[in-house]
Amino acid sequence: MPFRKITLALLILFIGTNIGFSQVQNNNEPAKQKFTLSGTISDVKNNETLIGVNVSIAELKTGVTTNEYGFYSLTVPKGNYTLVISYIGFQTREETISLERSIKNNYKLTSNEQELKEVVIMGKKNKINTRSAEMSVNKLSISTIKKMPVVLGEVDILKSILLLPGVTNAGEGASGFNVRGGGADQNLILLDEATIFNSSHVFGFFSVFNPDAIKDLKLYKGGIPARFGGRASSVLEIYQKDGNSNKFSMNGGIGLISSRLLAEGPIVKDKASFLAAGRGSYAHLFLKLSEEQKDNTAYFYDLNTKLTYKINPNNNLYLSGYFGRDVFGISKSFINTYGNATLNLRWNHLFSDKLFSNLSLIYSDYYYGLKIDQVGFQWDSGIKNYNLKYDFRNYVSDKIKLNFGVSAIYFDFNPGTLSPSKPDSGINFDQLDKKKAFESSLYLDVEQKISSNLNINYGIRSSMFYRLGESEISVYKNDQAVIYNPNTKVYSEATPIGTKSFPKNKAIESFNNLEPRFSASYSLTDNKSIKVSYNRMVQYLQLISNTSSPTPLDIWTPSDSFIKPQIADQVAAGYFVNFNDDNYSIEAESFYKVVKNRLDYIDGANLIANNNIERIILNGQLRTYGLELMVRKNKGDFSGWISYTLSKSEQQTPGRNASEIGINNGNWYSSAYDKMHNLAVTGSYKLNEKWTFGSNFALQSGQPATFPNGQYNYLGLTIPSYGLRNANRLPAYHHLDISATLTPRKNKNRNWQSEWVFSIYNIYNRMNAASINFSQNQDTGRNEAVKTSIFGIVPGVSYNFKF
Amino acid sequence: MKKIFYIIITSFLIFSCTEVVDIPLDTNSPKLVIEATIIWQKGTVGNEQKIKLSTTTDFYSNTIPAVSNAIVVVKNNSGATFNFIETPNTGIYVCSDFDPELDKTYILTIVNKGQTYTATETLKPVAPITDFTQETIQGFGGQVVNIKANFIDPAATEDFYLFNYKVKEGKKPDFYVSDDKFYNGNPFFSTVFDDELKVNNPITVTHFGISKGYYEYLNILLNLAGNQGGGPFQAPPVAVRGNIINTSNRDDFPFGFFSLSESDTKNYTVE
Repeated sequence: MPFRKITLALLILFIGTNIGFSQVQNNNEPAKQKFTLSGTISDVKNNETLIGVNVSIAELKTGVTTNEYGFYSLTVPKGNYTLVISYIGFQTREETISLERSIKNNYKLTSNEQELKEVVIMGKKNKINTRSAEMSVNKLSISTIKKMPVVLGEVDILKSILLLPGVTNAGEGASGFNVRGGGADQNLILLDEATIFNSSHVFGFFSVFNPDAIKDLKLYKGGIPARFGGRASSVLEIYQKDGNSNKFSMNGGIGLISSRLLAEGPIVKDKASFLAAGRGSYAHLFLKLSEEQKDNTAYFYDLNTKLTYKINPNNNLYLSGYFGRDVFGISKSFINTYGNATLNLRWNHLFSDKLFSNLSLIYSDYYYGLKIDQVGFQWDSGIKNYNLKYDFRNYVSDKIKLNFGVSAIYFDFNPGTLSPSKPDSGINFDQLDKKKAFESSLYLDVEQKISSNLNINYGIRSSMFYRLGESEISVYKNDQAVIYNPNTKVYSEATPIGTKSFPKNKAIESFNNLEPRFSASYSLTDNKSIKVSYNRMVQYLQLISNTSSPTPLDIWTPSDSFIKPQIADQVAAGYFVNFNDDNYSIEAESFYKVVKNRLDYIDGANLIANNNIERIILNGQLRTYGLELMVRKNKGDFSGWISYTLSKSEQQTPGRNASEIGINNGNWYSSAYDKMHNLAVTGSYKLNEKWTFGSNFALQSGQPATFPNGQYNYLGLTIPSYGLRNANRLPAYHHLDISATLTPRKNKNRNWQSEWVFSIYNIYNRMNAASINFSQNQDTGRNEAVKTSIFGIVPGVSYNFKF
Repeated sequence: MKKIFYIIITSFLIFSCTEVVDIPLDTNSPKLVIEATIIWQKGTVGNEQKIKLSTTTDFYSNTIPAVSNAIVVVKNNSGATFNFIETPNTGIYVCSDFDPELDKTYILTIVNKGQTYTATETLKPVAPITDFTQETIQGFGGQVVNIKANFIDPAATEDFYLFNYKVKEGKKPDFYVSDDKFYNGNPFFSTVFDDELKVNNPITVTHFGISKGYYEYLNILLNLAGNQGGGPFQAPPVAVRGNIINTSNRDDFPFGFFSLSESDTKNYTVE
């Protein structure tokens, strides 16, 4: 097995880098001794560690940002320095330190909001870090997200990222999101490092993340560091709060759709803390009031939990979990249930003040179940994965930082179990072939400061993927699971000519890929820089879905002899500037991305309960390119941004040989998520201590669609006849939303803090098309185009509290 | 099976609203449409058969152009020939001496405007409808009458079905297809959920035995006829090609299918 090789390689890397780099240092500057300042940065109020805090030494113009666990480490020559610690929304802290030996200092920051009565010290502006080589990354703080107006007042993390450049989705009520023209399946969504396979409640109306339990989020659209892998387009990293280790507190909210309650507090003061958060919808309770509807149910809920234990300054333990479900039932005979569950245990360990490590043991699963007693069947499907991950970050010097680690994931797929739901059912028990797979990877990432103007990050990820037995694999004539009829030019499912058995844990197919990553920034001045990046991402899991946004019953499947891994290459270049005393910033980026082995589906492909997915797919490719522009006002009573994206997303599936026509005659055609124009404006204005206002405006090109180019009659039915896929477009999509937050004055000097959030979504009642269907009207017999819209104008109100 | 999943997917649209909109559409040049549906109703001799020829037209048009003056012939693999003669200017070609035989192979040949079209298919048998079951169930919008037409699926064969429910005169016929993958060899049923079903409402149910190819074709076609056409949870609609080849110009394929089915029709009155 590859484990041994990985362990060995890791060991070499681990020892090698430490010795190697320390020698280099000693040789270079034997005269001046260097010492390390390290520690964690947290919020004074609740001891919550802070991610991405700037810790810099003014005299040396050098610095570092805290990692996902609030840890920082700086190695500089001996001396007296001014340490500047700054973070958005918090007061900047300046400390004089005398570095005569390596020291460990933990700092606590005070948020701007906490000290309103005192003189307000200038907080850190939300400016761009022009020097860092990191690019194509967007961070959103939960406080920014909470100020945005949303449908029915339900704060939604995934809906808020749609306002960022390069991010779209299939419209209102659609699940998932699309980054730089990629598919929704190409996003790696991590909640406390555990993979979330389906990010939506109620088919996409709401996201599965309870905003109260979330600390921070970061979206990587390009220049993705080597520590991430497994998805072709983007990484959305979401961190849960650790829980207040200072004092017990609660917060929550009551909304129109769901209500939230969170409790957190110390178990052992300053050492161990817990967090438990729950959210549930309760619209279904109203169903109970009606005699006709009393047996029906429609609700969702989720639970977030976390235990944090600071064993000693060098060791921390985190246990976090998530459990969410959607339940939709009609009487007792039709019940549809789905959701994610994750559980992970993480151990932070400092090997030295320069070497940070995190060991994670992660379990995550996704379940979909459907019971229909009328037909007499019960359907279950899902995916489970077990992940062991060991990540290291070595703060070698102020010029070099290393990230390296290993990961091993075991996947267990259940594409579907069909069983009779009652004794007199006519349904036979059927188990679609279960699939197993193993993915291992090894990475090294170097962050290097070449000169005061030039920073580069470079890294490589080596990934291996094994589709494992035990399994029976169908064998096809000429290895072609899809047959082509040259007379009718129709692709259809081939009939297997035999099967091949693989015993347990035997590799059915294996892949290995090297994924290079690179990014660089060159500072033109203190406030201006240009950046370039390249990344290769390999995706071994495929979501079998031919709709424009994922549905809960879509299944994941591993790469195998027929389904090749998707390989994405992306280059991006950008120009970044902060101006007007850092009050404004501009980010302009252009990108070009090509994804090989993008699945496409043959005409009329039946995806549901198909035991041989290989018989309905063809391998094609996806290419996307575009320009992104974001102008932001970072500071003041009025803040916000304008983002605009001009892009193209196209796919092509040529015939497998010259005699075949492929999909859409083998030509490039618009992917389902191709949106040429995407404009988003968001702003918030703080009028006074009592009132804050927010507004969003979104304007996008319509979603690609296929309209008929004629009709005919068959079996007495009107059949619209269609031409090439996605040759048309729905009307443009736009809406304007506003919100107002009222913080009562009586909040002052009392424990119970509350606020009211009033919002109006889609204020001018634009009926955006979710789809346009072409069919015959039942009553008039005339053919017509019928537009379906999800939301018109939607007012909302919610009440939030904490104590 | 598939139909059930569509119900779930569309059920979320209870929040949504619809509106008729004016969307200008392009119209492609007319294509030949061949509705060569041979049906042998159980208990009949099956001599009377018809084949319909028409063309595609503008989506918003109210009339479907008929195709006249074509030559329509069906042969079986024993060499018997059955001529289909047009009832003048209707595009309907009728044969009164057709000789249906289960599992026999037939060849269709049509000559129209100098182009020759051919297709080959087998006449598929169907299991008889044994009886009906009626239940009242709780739907999302209240009580719904559910009628099941029962049959026993043959265990030895892979079977495909087309079910047709006529619930009300003048209403669009309700068709759906099914395969026996999950109920092979078992007693099973076709079903209709209709909130307009009332006591004493007569319904007519027909089961057709169809080939795998016709099943796949109808699977796409019936989706096109329903409320398909884009949207976040729908597969993109596609051009659906049948089993008929234009041997004169393979690129200019006709729409439609040559199918031969045994059928069983039963009437039921809602109790």
